[in-house]
Amino acid sequence: MSEPGIESKPSAPPADYHFLVKRLHSLSGLVPIGAFLVIHLLTNARILAPGLVPGEEFQKGVDQIHGLGPMLLPVEIVFIFLPLLFHSLVGFQIMRTGKNNPRYYHYNSNIRYSLQRWTGVIAFFFIMYHVWQMHWFGEPIGGGKFDPEHAALSAAKAIQSVWWIAPIYAIGVVASVFHLTNGIWTSLITWGVTIKPRSQRAAGYVCATFGVIVALIGLGALNGFKRFGADTVIPKSSHTMAGESDRNVG
Amino acid sequence: MSTNDHHHDGHGGNGHGHSNERMVSVRVLRQENPHSGSHWESFEVPYEHGMNITTVLLRIAANPVTTDHHETTPIAYDSCCLEEVCGACTMVINDRVRQGCSALVENLLKDSPEGITLQPMTKFPVVRDLLVNRKPMFESLKKIKAWVHVDGYYDLGGGPRISQKEQEKAYPLSCCMTCGCCVEACPQFNDHSAFIGPAAISQAVLFNAHPTAKVDRDDRLAVLSGAGGITDCGNSQNCVKVCPKGIPLTDSIAQTGRDTTIYKFRQWFGR
Repeated sequence: MSEPGIESKPSAPPADYHFLVKRLHSLSGLVPIGAFLVIHLLTNARILAPGLVPGEEFQKGVDQIHGLGPMLLPVEIVFIFLPLLFHSLVGFQIMRTGKNNPRYYHYNSNIRYSLQRWTGVIAFFFIMYHVWQMHWFGEPIGGGKFDPEHAALSAAKAIQSVWWIAPIYAIGVVASVFHLTNGIWTSLITWGVTIKPRSQRAAGYVCATFGVIVALIGLGALNGFKRFGADTVIPKSSHTMAGESDRNVG
Repeated sequence: MSTNDHHHDGHGGNGHGHSNERMVSVRVLRQENPHSGSHWESFEVPYEHGMNITTVLLRIAANPVTTDHHETTPIAYDSCCLEEVCGACTMVINDRVRQGCSALVENLLKDSPEGITLQPMTKFPVVRDLLVNRKPMFESLKKIKAWVHVDGYYDLGGGPRISQKEQEKAYPLSCCMTCGCCVEACPQFNDHSAFIGPAAISQAVLFNAHPTAKVDRDDRLAVLSGAGGITDCGNSQNCVKVCPKGIPLTDSIAQTGRDTTIYKFRQWFGR
């Protein structure tokens, strides 16, 4: 037989393993990674809450998390870092098997397909940078700027240290939130929850609304850190800040 | 129409008086044989009212001379029904996959007045010019057992009755002509992925819903939950948008997502 391309299709690896890996990829994106992202951004948004001391509310949130004490590191590793690593590795593998074509087929869903891959890559490198900059893991190599004892101040200093850091965070947050939001939408199809176009469209509206809210929370928090110290010490601004915090944190 | 009004002498105005005729520029990606490289050739074809891509290819075959006056060979292509039910003449027209027979030149020129480009589908091995080998699609259908298993040496009698409701669900899925549009537009179907594609997934749904073909349901779900199966879908949903038969392919895909989830949980945790 001289039919080029037909026999060259990759042969199937063990089937059970394949399904499990792909479904765990889908699940890990929702829980724990997606859930963690939302909790993380909500905690960050507490920087916007008013208090006697600037950043007091945010410090309380950080204290709650660090209340885990010696259990914090294992919890971080099992529920954040390992799932992230797994999700990223499988994600890059999925990217390798696809050929984006929105240039010729510019349907919304196809553009989202491409965006899902690009935002995944952006989120991956942003998270690497973010962990290096903030987590104590990064300390030996010049990072690890976040100090849980002085949560608001250390985070704000890190964000404000160079002008391009806030824009990078804004891009990273928006990319991560898009990736999560679109991931929720596709996971509903993957697991067979939304089948008909009508239910998929409805889920689309719900996911988009959710995404916009989470992105605003994340960007609001980022703005809080960016402006921390600039006007928080001036008492008269505390009223407007209270109004904002009700919307974002509640 | 206005061009015809100018022809007082020529009824139909074909073949002669090229200077007065509206010409259609057609660029074709040509390939001698499965192993050779490809190159573009340009042609000028006199416009005819109501002409489709099949007409264009017939006119080129009748006079295979390129725009720069080179004698060439007629363009090889596949065709059969000429009414968009067989899928044989599927090709990439102006960068989008569709059937040549139902692609009207008039409409194509509205979107792209500068001319028409014809390419073979990119997801299949090219035999020659626009003719491709769609064998991978049929291999996928074999994998998911896209048939009703009724082989036997004796009369099995009438099959079970199928309700009107089930018929209405099955009919659209049965319209698939394995043309290749869905896999051509699918970013997940290519030479470095084992994905069997939307058409085969949808056929599995069709046969799993059939009261007699149901006996092979678990075999189909085993293939669909394996490598190259449903988990390789990336939800770009191009398939349903390019399908010329309007088959609800994404419904079939989501249904398969649900069915394989249940099937796998049944496997992992016993019956």
